Amino acid sequence: MNSWFKSGSPWVWLSAGGVSISLISVLGLLWLIASRGLSYFWPADIYQFETVNEKGQAVTVIGEIYDRESLPTKQLSHLDLGLDPTKETIERILVKTGNRELVNLDFRWLLMPLINKTTMPEDIVVVERRTNGNFYGFIEGIILDGQPAGLEKMADLLERVDDFQDEMDELQKVDIGAINYQIERLRLKKRKHKLDETLTVEREQEIDGEVARYNADYQVLEKQLMAIRDKVSRDQLVVRAMGGEVIKINFEEILKVTYNNKLSIFGRSAVFIQQIGSFLIDDPREANTEGGVFPAIFGTVLMVLLMTVIVSPMGVIAAIYLHEYAGKNALTKLLRIAVINLAGVPSIVYGVFGLGFFVYMVGGSLDQLFYAETLPSPTFGTPGVMWSAITLAILTLPVVIVSTEEGLSRIPSAMRHGSLALGATKAETLWRIILPIASPAIMTGIILAIARAAGEVAPLMLVGVVKMAPNLPLDGNFPYLHLDRKFMHLGFHIYDVGFQSPNVEAARPLVFATAFLLVTIIVSLNMTAVTIRNRLREKYRMLEH
Amino acid sequence: MISVSPRTLDPKVKLDLNNLSPEQVALEIKNLNLYYGDKQALQNISMSIPKGQVTAFIGPSGCGKSTLLRCINRMNDLVDICKIEGEINLHGENIYGKQVDVAALRRQVGMVFQRPNPFPKSIYENVVYGLRIMGENNRRVLDEAAENALRSAALWNEVKDRLHDSALGLSGGQQQRLVIARAIAIKPEVLLLDEPTSALDPISTLTIEELINDLKKQFTVVIVTHNMQQAARVSDQTAFMYMGDLIEYSDTNTLFTTPAKKKTEDYITGRYG
Repeated sequence: MNSWFKSGSPWVWLSAGGVSISLISVLGLLWLIASRGLSYFWPADIYQFETVNEKGQAVTVIGEIYDRESLPTKQLSHLDLGLDPTKETIERILVKTGNRELVNLDFRWLLMPLINKTTMPEDIVVVERRTNGNFYGFIEGIILDGQPAGLEKMADLLERVDDFQDEMDELQKVDIGAINYQIERLRLKKRKHKLDETLTVEREQEIDGEVARYNADYQVLEKQLMAIRDKVSRDQLVVRAMGGEVIKINFEEILKVTYNNKLSIFGRSAVFIQQIGSFLIDDPREANTEGGVFPAIFGTVLMVLLMTVIVSPMGVIAAIYLHEYAGKNALTKLLRIAVINLAGVPSIVYGVFGLGFFVYMVGGSLDQLFYAETLPSPTFGTPGVMWSAITLAILTLPVVIVSTEEGLSRIPSAMRHGSLALGATKAETLWRIILPIASPAIMTGIILAIARAAGEVAPLMLVGVVKMAPNLPLDGNFPYLHLDRKFMHLGFHIYDVGFQSPNVEAARPLVFATAFLLVTIIVSLNMTAVTIRNRLREKYRMLEH
Repeated sequence: MISVSPRTLDPKVKLDLNNLSPEQVALEIKNLNLYYGDKQALQNISMSIPKGQVTAFIGPSGCGKSTLLRCINRMNDLVDICKIEGEINLHGENIYGKQVDVAALRRQVGMVFQRPNPFPKSIYENVVYGLRIMGENNRRVLDEAAENALRSAALWNEVKDRLHDSALGLSGGQQQRLVIARAIAIKPEVLLLDEPTSALDPISTLTIEELINDLKKQFTVVIVTHNMQQAARVSDQTAFMYMGDLIEYSDTNTLFTTPAKKKTEDYITGRYG
């Protein structure tokens, strides 16, 4: 035994164990969020259950099985449901029944012993709608231009509606959005002239004339929009719900109609991929519990990129000063310790600092200096994507500084001396020799900064993230990148959907799906940076002396 | 006694090292004292280094020969605790004067270090580095300078087909010649070699020694070496240093055959060192 200890193999086992535990945790985590998240997109089987309600009446429930659990029979004994008391536990299932306009809750628990019959009728459809969530039921007919029509028209109708919706989105968001933007700009221009007391009669007339022109354009577009809306709301789908109620759904509400039970494995895969696609590129609906997360993806990536653009030069310059120019004395040591300790400050503190200093002080002053005409409504004096990026840049600054400094100190002094001996100044040596050689270390710092910043939520809640941003920070209106706008973020989206939404049950798979997406995005951002770093490493590989 | 190669024994214009005419002097070191903190590393060194010749500094480890060499292009400035008194005159001007541009000085006094230190760039970019620093970006001028420097460093034939490959792919001896090419590309007047062959194999060493003999046609060469045979083979003058003192300085032949000082004799006969 003693010799076994001496041989060192216990330590090998111990370290191997440590590695295994980390590996299993990481893989387990990924597997959990991936499986839970991705199963949300897989078209589920739709069941029809014949069961009895609390009053003993027979009811039909249609829906997909969402969850199942066992609970002790004792817990239900007071309900007098005629359950078998000899059984220890009862299984119950959670069924997603949809049809939110007909029932109060679109989820319902069913006790397995009370289910008399379970079937999977092939002609059950799932209708994905813009509002009120999914509808589960049977198609009764189609009303086309006020007249009943055959079901074969459905595919055409759906396509037509889709086209109309695209057209309306385009009109609303791009054309009308641009007009609104211009009208607002003119209003501000007028107000600025008024504030500067340079508003002459000609100027006023000119501006008013322009506004009138835009308003006229707007009227035209609005008419177009109305016309499309009329066309689109003429057609209806008649469906029968599980309770036998027949309702009409306007085609403009419908996103997708699928016969889940009829689908083959390939059909399901196609639907699966399509669902993932729309999750990635669509806007959220229904208080974020449905639809896609595109604005959040966009916001996250944009914010991280902005942060990188800000933190990299700042961190590198600071590290260069600390390592190359600052005297080697107690003050420098103190500074270095302070920088390292900055990394340990809780992130919410940075959020508070960002809100107080950047948003209110800096942003407020910017508004007074440059955006006086919009006051009292703030432009930069309110949380926004720029302040978020700067706050996170401050948060990740120590990481970049520390790894850059490490990279600088690893460079052999022979490189410096070689360059200096050729008549280069210190600055030329830094720029031409030292920084390129240190670039892999700088990239390492940036990778760590990205990894830290992309997952950070707490400070963002104070300095720019919102539940629902009406516009992306990037659009077709000059100056295209609107850094003052608020944005959506995947991390905050997870929190919001999972814990702040009115329909927590419906949102749960979205939490996993979004979490999986966030991890994927951070990993891909990191992989990009790692690839760049490896390229640089290869290029500036030092000879092993 | 060390055998002195016939080449350095060749009769030539004997220089009287104590009474050189101003045209013959490349560098004049006057009463140079150097301190690392409280420790004095060089004691009142005075010597004149003749133009167009190879001067070697020899002596046991820690005798201050490298330190003295580094004084000539002010590389010791990089050591914070280093303090220097005295003068080193280049063209009759003290390089430690207040008005001196150190970068310009180092362009006149090039240096090659103990270990080859090519930059992690292409061979070509290594050679033209000094010219680029001087602001030369004309492709033709750079190409020509690179070729000349590589030819002078006896490296051209080996690398002419792979000028744009990484310099780190060269062998140690080739790297050291590349570093010499890099140093002479900017046409310095004086070339300082700090034990240039101590990290190299015998064959590379031989190539470099031959190269040094060619280089003195264009440059004044000052070489520090550990290896007395090498000093005997390549140098015209030799200075023997011991514990920060310049003990003896004379033409190589005299120093190795009839040393004037006991310490020198002890060292070259291998009694210590």
